[in-house]
Amino acid sequence: MGKKQKQKIILPPELPPEILEDEIEVSDEDLQFVSENRDYAGFVSRLDTHSITKHVTRVADVKEDDLEALYEKRLRKTSVVKENEDKGLQLDPVDALPVKTLDGKLYYRTRPKPENGGDENEVGGGEKGGGGNEGIIKLTKVERRAKLKKSKREAKKEGKKLSKPEEAEQAPQVAVLAEVKEDLTAEELFESKKCKLAELGMALLADPESNIKSLKEMLQIARDDNPSISKLGFLSLLAVFKDIIPGYRIRLPTEKELEMKVSKEIKKMRFYESTLLSAYKAYLQKLIASEKQPVFHQVVVRCICNLLDAVPHFNCCEILLEVVVRNLGSQDVVVRKLCCATIKSLFTNEGKHGGVATVEAVRLIANHVKVNNCQLHPDFVEVFMSLSFDEDLQRREVPDDKSKVKNKKNNKRKSIEEPSQLQQNERKKNKKELMLKTRKEVAAEYKAASLAPDVMEKRRMQTETISAVFETYFRILKHTMMFTAVSSEANASSIGGASGAHPLLAPCLKGLGKFSHLIDLDYIGDLMNYLKRLAGGGSSNDGPSQKNSNHLTVTERLRCCIVAFRVMRNNLDALNVDLQDFFVQLYNLILEYRPGRDQGEVLAEALKIMLCDDRQHDMQKAAAFVKRLATFSLSIGSAESMAALVTLKNLLQKNIKCRNLLENDAGGGSVSGSISIYQPYAMDPNLSGALASVLWEINLLSKHYHPSISTAASSIAGMNSAHNQVYHAILSPQQAFMDLLLERESFNSKSDTQKSSSKRKRGNGTSILANTELSSNMSGSIDENEVSKKLGDHFMLLRNIKENERLRDELDRATLSLHLYDEYKKQKKTASTKTKKCKKLLNA
Amino acid sequence: MRPLDEAETTAVFEKLFKFTGNNLKNIVENPSHEGPDPNPGRYCFRLHKNRVYYVSESLVKRATNIARPKLVSLGTCIGKFTHGGKFHLTIQALSLVAANARHKVWIKPTSEMSFLYGNHVLKGGLGRITDSIAPGDGVVVYSMSDVPLGFGVAAKSTQDCRKLDPNGIVVLHQSDIGEYLRMEDEL
Repeated sequence: MGKKQKQKIILPPELPPEILEDEIEVSDEDLQFVSENRDYAGFVSRLDTHSITKHVTRVADVKEDDLEALYEKRLRKTSVVKENEDKGLQLDPVDALPVKTLDGKLYYRTRPKPENGGDENEVGGGEKGGGGNEGIIKLTKVERRAKLKKSKREAKKEGKKLSKPEEAEQAPQVAVLAEVKEDLTAEELFESKKCKLAELGMALLADPESNIKSLKEMLQIARDDNPSISKLGFLSLLAVFKDIIPGYRIRLPTEKELEMKVSKEIKKMRFYESTLLSAYKAYLQKLIASEKQPVFHQVVVRCICNLLDAVPHFNCCEILLEVVVRNLGSQDVVVRKLCCATIKSLFTNEGKHGGVATVEAVRLIANHVKVNNCQLHPDFVEVFMSLSFDEDLQRREVPDDKSKVKNKKNNKRKSIEEPSQLQQNERKKNKKELMLKTRKEVAAEYKAASLAPDVMEKRRMQTETISAVFETYFRILKHTMMFTAVSSEANASSIGGASGAHPLLAPCLKGLGKFSHLIDLDYIGDLMNYLKRLAGGGSSNDGPSQKNSNHLTVTERLRCCIVAFRVMRNNLDALNVDLQDFFVQLYNLILEYRPGRDQGEVLAEALKIMLCDDRQHDMQKAAAFVKRLATFSLSIGSAESMAALVTLKNLLQKNIKCRNLLENDAGGGSVSGSISIYQPYAMDPNLSGALASVLWEINLLSKHYHPSISTAASSIAGMNSAHNQVYHAILSPQQAFMDLLLERESFNSKSDTQKSSSKRKRGNGTSILANTELSSNMSGSIDENEVSKKLGDHFMLLRNIKENERLRDELDRATLSLHLYDEYKKQKKTASTKTKKCKKLLNA
Repeated sequence: MRPLDEAETTAVFEKLFKFTGNNLKNIVENPSHEGPDPNPGRYCFRLHKNRVYYVSESLVKRATNIARPKLVSLGTCIGKFTHGGKFHLTIQALSLVAANARHKVWIKPTSEMSFLYGNHVLKGGLGRITDSIAPGDGVVVYSMSDVPLGFGVAAKSTQDCRKLDPNGIVVLHQSDIGEYLRMEDEL
């Protein structure tokens, strides 16, 4: 039998739990059935139970003598298998019906063993959830102790696996211990290790000075080959270090100092410090060495971040910083977020380390950006946003500088004056110098003694930080520029990947906006040039390349405009500079805006900063923007169009002449300027001739489905140039945008209800209609006879009238003929009388 | 009256380009009249007695009826050639230049008069200025209510203007609308 078969055959699931015969209830019906059909039941008695059991337990072909050995062997095997299975997969005994694949293999449904479910149950509800590796960001001492216990338990569980003998490079003492340990079983070994870790940790926390040596032992445990053990070691060491590291940087005594005689206490102190430092260094080395292994990565980064957060002032913090900064752009989201949070807290809590770590971190980040050619995760630069610069520091320094200059001048004057007096009072001069010297010495000592941080030092660090930050920003801008320049030369080839090509641009622009007041005035010219080109979509040359040059998204280009205005506003308030190019860009970008793709907040911000906040505009430009915003708000979502309308209103309030647009008179009259036709596609707001057009859009917008937009539009339509009252702008476009954005959801639901209600209304209406139709049908069926009668009457009347007319015509004709006959008679008579007369005359 | 020759054209266009930049295209392609006519006429430049005129084509055709010595002026005079062969813009070109100006300077009401008497624009009188002016660019001067007052040449870039003291010259005067009164005879 043996192994071959065992490998081939997958064991069937365990038999269902045995049930004692007594417990089986036999119903009466069964009994009856058996008694009636004795023949069927006969086979039961004939069953060879012995062979069946043999086959079921698969020992059929083995001789009686070997049986015992076989059973023993099998039992051992199953125990081993069980142990192996224990860790990984577990066979569910109940619902594990095997699955037969096409090639005839049987698969048992397995499920991963819940990692430490039982463990948690043991700990009970008192602890927060999560394994030993998580949730240790901030623990109180009690929790830490509890955690140590818990980790002990975990180690016990994990300890069932065999461990390899410890490394050879141990101290002799430990080596002896290890020999002893070899005698112990594996389980006990782990038990002891875990216990030891916990004990050492507790002892260290209780009295660090006397137990400082045990740090090394903990380190030893942390070097264990078993990853879970060493993880536990790392974490417990982290907890210990966080607690016992002093609030100052340890400086190891020089040799000279070592030679000096010192008291016992100082010796003890020195020993304590040096052990602590060496242990700490070893710990860091171990951490950094194991950081690259994927198993340890998260744990190690967590340890490092916690350490950096807790003790940024301590020795070796540069190493920590380096690791953290390197992991800022990590693929792992958890690691990245952790590192970001650490760096941010480093920037915000400068008091802990006096700003040294800040400078270092910023410099490291700058280097990283430089080395990686700006292809990094945006979080790299995003962290700069949490930097804060003390402006009072600078302001206070300015008069100092002046006074220094003055002093220098004074000195010069003195030195000019002195030669003349030199011969006269050399002694006095010497005295003075001596006085000065002593004064300086006193001042220096006072400075050293006083705890107040050196202002000059602080200022120097700040300038360094600022310069590193701006270096990074300018590098990113420049890189973006170069990239776009290259790609515009290469044209269409790289459009696809272009949108993702500037991951750092957005945070960089944000940061520039935030720190714009700190930029050196000399750089502003270049900065504005860069921004102008970026806002123009990467290429300043117009014409055919314009279409291909849209490498930056609309949002990014809008951001460029915003940053330019911020910079100008913060630095150049004295001179009112009109940033015409950026207005041109905004004018065209409004048309390119797509609600789904681009961020509406940025557009609203741009509208606010560029159009609302600016003190004055040219009439032409303002009119062009008014017209374009109106057109824009017709064809866009409600939130954006509200922002546009608010801006529009603001513009109209400031530029009274632009209210001519509200008049129903195209052509603009005398104000329209040189361009007499509105050209909607003009690229330049100054050449669009918008004053020649009419704001008919407002009229349409006042019938907008959204109530607030329609009210806004009608209020705009109401501000004619006729009444010149002062309007107060209450809302900013951003506010308006956000309001409507928030309202959108509720409005949707509202409109739904409205729809449904209107449906209901309509339903009612149809029923009413149906009713009326019904009633009309009823009445129609009733009145049919009447109607036919009426129709008959009408027809009769018409016929009578016709008849009448015909008769009257006949009558007329008859009377006419009679008249004619009469006349004829008369004529005849007269004629006859005439003839008679003639005859008479003739006769006479 | 004759069309400009090559050298004269470049001189005129270079001068106009300093003021208008790429908008020069609009000046050249400006249709001379509106209406349903499918072929709107163009404006063209004509030289007559050392002066350059900006005239619509139809007017040029009609002007041919008049003998050269008798023709005083036609269209808009935009400048003149000096004896040295250089081209100077005159104040009549202001409407043309202002409509297409690239660089602008707005001056405060207090210093309007000073400029209209032929003085340079000082930093103190500067109300507003467009970005990215380089020294030597043509600049159109406006009052704060957007009325074009004249034009000149930038003496300093926008960046340098910031550091300038209030008496420093920002725009060198070339021509202003006060000339209509002061130099009535010459125009």
